Amino acid sequence: MTTNAKDVRKTWEKIADYFRAHSIWMKWYCTGCGAIEMPPTMTSRFDMERLGMGPMATPRQADVLLITGYLSAKTLRRVIYSYEQMQDPKYVVGFGSCTLNGGIYFDSYATMTRLDHYLPVDLYIAGCMPRPEAIMNSFDTLIKMIEKGEAKGWKHYQENHEWYRRNQLHSLKEVYVKDEFHE
Amino acid sequence: MNSTNKLVEEIRQRFEIIDVIHPDDQQVILDIDKMHLHTLLSHLKADGFRQLSLLSAVDWIKDNIFELVYIVFNWDTGVHVLARVKLPRDNPRFRTITPIYPGAQYYERDVHEFFGIEFEGNPMSYKPLFLELWDEMPPMRKDFDPEAYSREKFPERVYVPHFVPKVEVIE
Amino acid sequence: MKEVKLFLGPQHPGMHGNYSAHMYVEGDIINKSYALPGMLHRGFEKLMERRHWMGNLALIPRICVIEPDPNEMVYAMSIEKLAAIEVPERAHWIRMIILELARLAANLMSIGGIGAPVGLYTSVYWGVADRDLILDIFEKITGARVYHMYIVPGGVRKDLPEGIEEEILDLLDYIEGRLPEFYDLVMRSPIFQTRTRDNILLPEEVVWELGVTGIGMRSAVNREYDIRKVKPYARYDQVEFSLPYGPYSDAFTRVDFKYIEMAQSISIIRQSIEKMPKDGPVRAKIATGSALRWQVPPGMVYSCVESARGEYGYLVVSDGGEMPYRIAVRGSSYPQGLMGVEKYLPGHRIDDASLWMDTMGVCAPEIDR
Repeated sequence: MTTNAKDVRKTWEKIADYFRAHSIWMKWYCTGCGAIEMPPTMTSRFDMERLGMGPMATPRQADVLLITGYLSAKTLRRVIYSYEQMQDPKYVVGFGSCTLNGGIYFDSYATMTRLDHYLPVDLYIAGCMPRPEAIMNSFDTLIKMIEKGEAKGWKHYQENHEWYRRNQLHSLKEVYVKDEFHE
Repeated sequence: MNSTNKLVEEIRQRFEIIDVIHPDDQQVILDIDKMHLHTLLSHLKADGFRQLSLLSAVDWIKDNIFELVYIVFNWDTGVHVLARVKLPRDNPRFRTITPIYPGAQYYERDVHEFFGIEFEGNPMSYKPLFLELWDEMPPMRKDFDPEAYSREKFPERVYVPHFVPKVEVIE
Repeated sequence: MKEVKLFLGPQHPGMHGNYSAHMYVEGDIINKSYALPGMLHRGFEKLMERRHWMGNLALIPRICVIEPDPNEMVYAMSIEKLAAIEVPERAHWIRMIILELARLAANLMSIGGIGAPVGLYTSVYWGVADRDLILDIFEKITGARVYHMYIVPGGVRKDLPEGIEEEILDLLDYIEGRLPEFYDLVMRSPIFQTRTRDNILLPEEVVWELGVTGIGMRSAVNREYDIRKVKPYARYDQVEFSLPYGPYSDAFTRVDFKYIEMAQSISIIRQSIEKMPKDGPVRAKIATGSALRWQVPPGMVYSCVESARGEYGYLVVSDGGEMPYRIAVRGSSYPQGLMGVEKYLPGHRIDDASLWMDTMGVCAPEIDR
């Protein structure tokens, strides 16, 4: 593995990553049907909090954005809106086959087929839908990735913002949700 | 069967019914001219069919017609009546049934969005409901191809095969 | 006081899933409100026209996430009516067990979920943990936790595994023992009582105006209006059960009825296990040749079942081809989720909006389809 000067972490970044890895706030946004496996993961049976993760209601205080399942164009607008409100460093986990390649909705006119075209994804969980064990395993992996400084999707988003924005505009026409009532 | 037969006879005396089908014991399909649909529904509602279960449409593209299906339900007898009317496929318009069944408002909006059928007298039905910034023909029409739309709008992941077996044909 | 625009959802802990309501509020009283659905729209009705009759089995459970089995049941029922398939006796009883277990799981989830809008988080932990035990039973029977694809046209996919009856009975004993504890925890809690008693009333006229079904309807019109009673499917006419009904529907009554319905579901499953034929075929042969390219005779039929939230129905149209010509879905929470939010919420407080969503069982994926 070649190391660029850019990739070398400073000591304070290493320490910061260590602390980030062990206090993760997951944003509470059920974008699709995979959200039904989140309550068992969060509550007493699988208990996500023993890993040092907890749910958070507002995007401004959250670290991880979980995309739980398929994303329709209407949701994608709101997801991008929420993602850009989150503060750096932030991580995206794609959840289920629908975020990977469209899954069972590959030919649907309303859902998008690959998530990493629009948002920088750090980790994918395969399956429809992933079991709570798979989710716990992925959280474990995510924590290790953050600790090693490998989860750098947010930097990628900053550096290639134009590419992402072009893709978003191609699929959605308008990215931001207008402050207009649906009366 | 008895309850539905009696119901159908009663309706036949009052309305011109084009065709009657019994898909099962507690279900009747009535084909009716679109002139009489509203009076039929008011009659049924007074007769105990107080709930509108579903309002939907079918696109018969070969015959060039839309078929609207109104499903009403009588909770006391457990009978579903499916009233069907036919509309021309080009410039489909129909009158709203919201004065009879107020709950139809959102079903009509739904049908307008997915089939492009306009309901006069229901100003809400012209607004988008499920789709946002939709720019194609209404998606539930039969000549709309969702796969082509999806390919064009949402680029697919291209998988590079790691191993391609070499196959030689031995003659 | 100044009128303020408020977006409740889609990303809000009090909202049920990816659903949104836009409101004009004055203080904390709602003046106008509009539902904004469509965040979960996947175009199911279009996709179903593009798959074979059997291929659709993988697609349909995904319409409603919390309780997927009624979807499989209505789809199978419609095809059986169109193709005149006789379902084996044992399959009917197995279907009932599966449907009632699913209803039990959905009700546990909803009783757990009521904790979030009233601020009583213990019930969330209890409800979800007990629901997981039911999912374990599902996993043993069907191989999957959430989407089972178990009820197929002509019967069920495979027979019950050996010894599962005892496990189900043990689980029912456990859940029955838990119900009084739940009741003490939630219904006797002063927080819950203050928030729900005489709050969010549902008058009978509104029920008929909107077309609300299920628990909301039964608690308001004082009749036992349930598809299982009015129009029995499977073998519901051969088991004894009585459902709660009443003339006064506030949030408290509706949650209370969920407890009684859970006890009834437990009783139905016990009777089914007892009355079920001990062996016999579980699936009728539906077609000669490849079942995947099976053609269903032409026709139109509407079939419905009672889900945990009300009447759930499919309108299935076949033109005699290998794929369905048109399938329209009647989501059971369609009236209360769309019309209800617009017509009914104005005049209530903001925090009652999520109570309405919960006690009426608004399920976003089945509205959006």
